[in-house]
Amino acid sequence: MKSKRFEALAARPVNQDGYVQEWPEVGLIAMNSPFDPKPSIKIEGGRIVEMDGKTRADFDMLDTFIADHAIRLGNAEKAMAMDSLDIARKIVDINVSRDEILDITLSVTPAKLTEIVGNLNIVEIMMGMTKMRARLMPANQCHVTNVKDNPVQIAADAAEAAVRGFAEMETTVGIARYAPFNAMALFVGAQAGRPGIMTQCALEEATELQLGMRGFTTYAETISVYGTEPVFMDGDDTPYSKAFLASCYASRGLKMRFTSGTGSEVQMGYAEGKSMLYLEARCLAVTKGAGVQGTQNGSVSCVGVPAGVPGGIRAIAAENLIAMLLDLESTTSNDQTFTHSDLRRVARSVPQLFSGTDYICSGYSATPNYDNMFAGSNWDADDYDDWNIIQRDMRIDGGLQPVKEDDVIKARNKAARALQGMFRELGLPPITDEEVEAATYARGSEDMPNRNVNEDLKAIEDMMARKVTGVDFVKALDKAGFPDVAQNIYNMLRQKVAGDYLHTASIFDKDFHVYSGVNAPNDYHGPMTGYQLSEERWEQIKNIPNAIRPEDI
Amino acid sequence: MNFDENMLRSVIEEVLKEMGSASTAPAAKAAPAASTLSAGEMTLADSGEAAKGVAPDEVVIGLAPAFGVYQHETIIHQPHSKVLREIIAGIEEEGMKWRLIRVFRTSDVSFIAHDAAEYSGSGIGIGIQSKGTTVIHQKDLPPLSNLELFSQAPLIEMDTFRQIGKNAAKYAKGEAPTPVTVRNDQMARPTYQAIAALLHIKETEHCDRDKKPQAVTVSFK
Amino acid sequence: MDQELLMKQIVEQVMAAMNKGTVSAPSSTPAGGRMTAANYPLAEKEAAKIKTPTGKPFSSLSYEKVLSGELTSDDMRISPETLEYQAQVAESVNREAFAGNLRRAAELIAVPDERLLEIYNALRPYRSTKQELIDIANELDGKYGAKTAAGLVREAAEVYEKRDRLKKF
Repeated sequence: MKSKRFEALAARPVNQDGYVQEWPEVGLIAMNSPFDPKPSIKIEGGRIVEMDGKTRADFDMLDTFIADHAIRLGNAEKAMAMDSLDIARKIVDINVSRDEILDITLSVTPAKLTEIVGNLNIVEIMMGMTKMRARLMPANQCHVTNVKDNPVQIAADAAEAAVRGFAEMETTVGIARYAPFNAMALFVGAQAGRPGIMTQCALEEATELQLGMRGFTTYAETISVYGTEPVFMDGDDTPYSKAFLASCYASRGLKMRFTSGTGSEVQMGYAEGKSMLYLEARCLAVTKGAGVQGTQNGSVSCVGVPAGVPGGIRAIAAENLIAMLLDLESTTSNDQTFTHSDLRRVARSVPQLFSGTDYICSGYSATPNYDNMFAGSNWDADDYDDWNIIQRDMRIDGGLQPVKEDDVIKARNKAARALQGMFRELGLPPITDEEVEAATYARGSEDMPNRNVNEDLKAIEDMMARKVTGVDFVKALDKAGFPDVAQNIYNMLRQKVAGDYLHTASIFDKDFHVYSGVNAPNDYHGPMTGYQLSEERWEQIKNIPNAIRPEDI
Repeated sequence: MNFDENMLRSVIEEVLKEMGSASTAPAAKAAPAASTLSAGEMTLADSGEAAKGVAPDEVVIGLAPAFGVYQHETIIHQPHSKVLREIIAGIEEEGMKWRLIRVFRTSDVSFIAHDAAEYSGSGIGIGIQSKGTTVIHQKDLPPLSNLELFSQAPLIEMDTFRQIGKNAAKYAKGEAPTPVTVRNDQMARPTYQAIAALLHIKETEHCDRDKKPQAVTVSFK
Repeated sequence: MDQELLMKQIVEQVMAAMNKGTVSAPSSTPAGGRMTAANYPLAEKEAAKIKTPTGKPFSSLSYEKVLSGELTSDDMRISPETLEYQAQVAESVNREAFAGNLRRAAELIAVPDERLLEIYNALRPYRSTKQELIDIANELDGKYGAKTAAGLVREAAEVYEKRDRLKKF
């Protein structure tokens, strides 16, 4: 006989997910692996000669880079000699300041960082996040993509996402050659929705830099680093090429962060028998050593791997915390589908959403997931109201706010028309009124007419050969009768001259004032300190349109 | 779309068996030299170092180290013999020639496809991993870029493989084909990612960093 | 989040925090002419000191000049001096690794886009021989005065050789 209860349980979404047992020997273990190295350091003549149980002669490329660039030597021996449990306790002690913690954690090795956070339970990790993130107030980032690479829809979705509150937006492509259109549509749509939003297009490294140089994007994030040498090579880079690339971006006044995450090494076949968290700590040390201001981490696209093993979601929160312990801008994933279960996906986001991080999602899908070309996000456009109500339930700021349908329709329409005008002025394949109309009211690409893909791809090739830049977008938008959008694009380009937004955890408000870890540092040190919701902001969050007003009854 | 626990278990067991000791030095493990291995309905044979092609009417298909030799089907159980036959049929339908190489230096599908493109007289190559992930590449693009990428292996069906062959042939002819419709299913990851990791570990075991691409002959039964 | 609110809130909080002395913002006079967190954001507080690499004052940039063609994309770039200022700001908040990156970046401003992309690609694994990397380092050093960046490339040449990541075939 089969149990009816077990039959019902077996049919639950959570049982559609894939799970695996730990297998520490090949690195299929989230954290606290018996095979992780024991922390150690030896410094001779101002140089690290031994680190985490390896002597310099045995260092691989990552060890060498980390030892030479990532650890503050002055305080290193003292910090390494401290008990990891004591350091873990300081992290949750409100009487120990963020700066005091950083003095320790910027001076230790990856194995030590792994050991420190290995002592923390999930609530303590969240307490650590609240204190250690770089920027005072949290923010949020979204993905704006669609399965057809339709630029009109991208512009409209970006404008809506801007109205809803996102501070940063990321697009990518189904067809790589569509990248320039996607990047410009996102740029225009975001600036039509709310001035000052930063935009990027995730692509192959050199191509991504090229678009930034041309003024199609204002920052970059998909600069991946990996925790073992062979996987780094399959990622077609080394710590040295990535450090050079980081400087290339800054030399063009472009903000950038690296990306890494637990599970990528085992996913790509070379985990060298180390835990996912230890390898991620190495990635973060490489990021720090390259002099990059921040990271997108939290397993990211490999989330199915840690999520499949015991303690994996805790490890993802722990890796976010390690990023913060290295004083990096923390852009904390929550961006990839990993489960069929709505309960699991909320639980996965609790640590970052409730603690607040520099960017809680990286990103939240601003389209329904069927259009999300990062293979689906943990949160999508159909969840907007859930997110808003969770903010309201918990009295937290997740970076979004309730909106009015009219405002959204207006913003979508304006963005689509602005892009239509800009395409016309730049001599690109026309955007029809029918497309503008469809994009204004669309839920996703199923509601969009098809474009002539070949004609678009040909036009893109020609546009890139003509050396069109962001400055041409400004001129074209002005000519097309959208001077306000044009001014916003101009203002974003102008920011690259000053470089204020290169700094840790920067965002812009609608007047292009920058807020970062420099002028808005996190000063949390216990209850009623750090970021507090203002009355005005709380009004905005709590006033959902569908709440019944007592006075109306 | 049900998650197949038995399949996963058998993969783990197989990998464990193959790894034997915990020493995992993939590069050190020599791939079988110029051997002939039968893969059910297909026989693949290494025939020495591959030559760079000059014929402008060829498309080179680059196979990942374990394709059709140590692994015989994609992540959704499509036999490798059928997959290869479909790609080849797609190329032939466009009146173009094809050639097979096996790439050993990496198991990364972008690099495999890029190597194939570099060895191809037309400059167009296809790379395919055992789990089914496929890329159409062109030699003057950066390795991690591509002409068309089919990154979600669980969504690649037989007709897509034929389309991939056809489109690659069209690029080789200098045409600009409409890219094969990209499919997207966000539930592929929760169902398949952990299995994909295991299959890839298994593929990567057969890499040899110092071995140049080998020419491969195929006979279908 | 509504940006006006956000701004208001932040200003209030930062001001309150500074009054309590919890924010480590140093005094507003840069010691020895060095920029600190107190001068940040430079676009607002030190606009007079910022110039484009083409020598135009930051405060002279305008939307109208872009439309008229007086300003081109070559003007809308950061200069080595500005990156040095930003590096000083970073150091004032104990971000010396980040400051180092900004200084390395300042050296690379002079390298044209195309060449910069080529050098980056040459640094990727298995792309270059040791001599090719050393030649690049010499070029960065000799032609552009990019000493730190050249140092990084020389370091890479050594490590790539040791780890067998130089060009193979």
